[in-house]
Amino acid sequence: MGRRLLEFIAVAAVLMAVVVLLKLAPAPVMGQAPTAAAKAGPAPNTPWGEPDLQGIWSYDFEVPLQRPARYANREFFTDEEQAELDRQRAGILNQSDRRYSRGSEQDVGGAYNAAIFTTHKRTGRRTSLIVDPPDGRIPPLTPEAQKRRAAIREFQLALLQGTDVCKNKLEGCAGGKYGPPSPRRAETPPNYLTVAGAGGPGGGGGVINRSDGPEDRSLGERCMAAVLPDFGGNTGFFLQIVQSPGAVSIFYDTGQGQGWQRTIPVTANPHLPSHVRQWWGNSRGRWEGKTLVVDVTNFTPKTYFQGSYENLHLVERWTRLDANTIEYAVTVEDGTTWTRAWTVKQEYNKQSDQANRFYKEPRCHEGNYGMVALLAGARAEERAFAQGRGPDPATMCTAGCGGFAAGFADTGEQSNPLTR
Amino acid sequence: MRQWSTGSMIAVAVAAAAVTAVISVSMTRRAGQAASPAARTADGKPNFSGIWQALNEAHWDLQAHDARPGAVTQQGVYPYAYAQVPAAPVLALGAAGGVPGSLGVVEGDGQIPYAPEAAAIKKENAEHWIDRDPELKCYLPGIPRAMYMPYPFQIVQSTNKINMAYAFTSTARTIHLDQVEGPPDDTYMGHSVGRWEGDTLVVDVTNFNGKNWFDRAGNFHSDALHLVERFTPITPDAIRYEVTIEDPKVFTRPWKISMPLYRRLEPNIELLEYRCIEFVEEFLYGNLRKQPLVKRWEGDTIIVDITRKVPPGDKLYEWYRR
Repeated sequence: MGRRLLEFIAVAAVLMAVVVLLKLAPAPVMGQAPTAAAKAGPAPNTPWGEPDLQGIWSYDFEVPLQRPARYANREFFTDEEQAELDRQRAGILNQSDRRYSRGSEQDVGGAYNAAIFTTHKRTGRRTSLIVDPPDGRIPPLTPEAQKRRAAIREFQLALLQGTDVCKNKLEGCAGGKYGPPSPRRAETPPNYLTVAGAGGPGGGGGVINRSDGPEDRSLGERCMAAVLPDFGGNTGFFLQIVQSPGAVSIFYDTGQGQGWQRTIPVTANPHLPSHVRQWWGNSRGRWEGKTLVVDVTNFTPKTYFQGSYENLHLVERWTRLDANTIEYAVTVEDGTTWTRAWTVKQEYNKQSDQANRFYKEPRCHEGNYGMVALLAGARAEERAFAQGRGPDPATMCTAGCGGFAAGFADTGEQSNPLTR
Repeated sequence: MRQWSTGSMIAVAVAAAAVTAVISVSMTRRAGQAASPAARTADGKPNFSGIWQALNEAHWDLQAHDARPGAVTQQGVYPYAYAQVPAAPVLALGAAGGVPGSLGVVEGDGQIPYAPEAAAIKKENAEHWIDRDPELKCYLPGIPRAMYMPYPFQIVQSTNKINMAYAFTSTARTIHLDQVEGPPDDTYMGHSVGRWEGDTLVVDVTNFNGKNWFDRAGNFHSDALHLVERFTPITPDAIRYEVTIEDPKVFTRPWKISMPLYRRLEPNIELLEYRCIEFVEEFLYGNLRKQPLVKRWEGDTIIVDITRKVPPGDKLYEWYRR
């Protein structure tokens, strides 16, 4: 009972943050045809003669990062497919009565309308943000990265072993088995825990079913989820760009109040010494014609992007195509993680500067009652168990349990048609 | 003649010294690249773009104060206020845990004109610094505090917007020189609207949420805070920064602080991350760990007991304690 209330409070705090974000989001563009963009003026220059990237930017259309298998070898959706995807997504997200069996942890975990956790933007034309490799998919992991991922997955499954997720053979336990609580619950995780990440429910980054301290929880719950590169995820983002000769400043309003400031030096100086590491790496910009090219290195072992940690290397290309559009292209490389480099292209659309629909606060951290509630809840469960008043916490699930995490089910008809 | 000759030698020497100084400055400039932009922007305004930092003790206390042995002190062997010793939270830091003295940055008589009840709150804040100061929790620092914290900040100056990026907790504010709508709610960092008065950038800051402090001495304000900041170039590498502070809920009259801001001239200077959310997790949540990391150490090791009380009225704590 105590825990439900605690979780409710945690969820309520996040919900409030999301509601604030949604209030600020531009009016939905559901009615607007994607190809009917008004003729935009030419790309402007700054008074000092550099390409002008300034203003508030977001993206107006939802495009999956990876191409869903059923559209293999096709770069664009047909008009009919686009309309059908919009219909399906709206249908799933607007449905209010779907739930896991009443009283189950999945039910409690998804007992609020999680549809607000995901953007309701219209489906775009392209079948994937990834333009290279040509199949629109993230390249295969290296054997080393596969080993890393398997190790964290094994640990996750060990911590779910005694729960209903495995007992009822839910998606969260895929590859695992039901049994008595594992002694591995006392172990240090095989690598730094980050985000739920790629690789199916609970895969990749490593969210574990334990709350011994803040480090056991995801970077999102710790208010440190902002990552580079950022393609918007479920909640979308706004960028505010301000330029001067020698610097390009970008504020990323992203991840439910987890925004951050980035200032790209436009300089020929070398990167920071290799032992100086930063969560968002070290950026070096240069102008190549109309394009700002940014080389980013020096990430930390705590940085996580799709399976990559400190060896992540980005080459970003920012090009103002016209008054209303920036093309953002990024080549992602890490020889210890992927068998080849891959490239993503995303189009940013200009938002009204005057409306100033850009919010740097309240930040997640200042109101992180969720973390206090999660940890206090876990301690309360342990006390209750010790006093014979509640179940063994090792048989309960607080992360990786499955559910309608972003408004969609994990698998099947009610999962996200853009990612299934 | 002899007199004249000596005088002229001195004049030549002074001139030579000046030339040397000019040369060494321009050498620094050339090596410095990004750290030394043109004195004026393309539209003829003073060019504030670059990385800056206040070099003073205002982050400890806006007002003039003695040096003291610790950020937190307690009574020593003698009961005199001037003979206090460092208290547990900073004891292990030795001389690095003390507070430097300062002549203060408050203009005029150096007093902050608190209303009587606000003066009592300020005093309590100072006594409960560790429990109450939002800086210790890595909360957004607010303005003007972010301007004189002991971390660098970067100004990116464009025509219609001026962005200030602060190393502390990777935050920022945008100064709007053009017409924009205000924020939909009160904020930690305020809403900044700027204009040029000759060579002075004047910034009006409003829409605060009242959760910030001015310094580590407990000086505070409410959500009625209204700032008028003035940035005036002294040299290409120094700015006179003045702030008129108005808050009728806390102060009986407007008051003013002023200080120089200095350009960081290191040739390789850049803003590095100070992502303190991670650094304060133990401070904020350590008491909720399954296995606490902070213990009363035994044996020959110094035992440091740190007391962090939950301020009365903290809604969440009050709730979960029930």
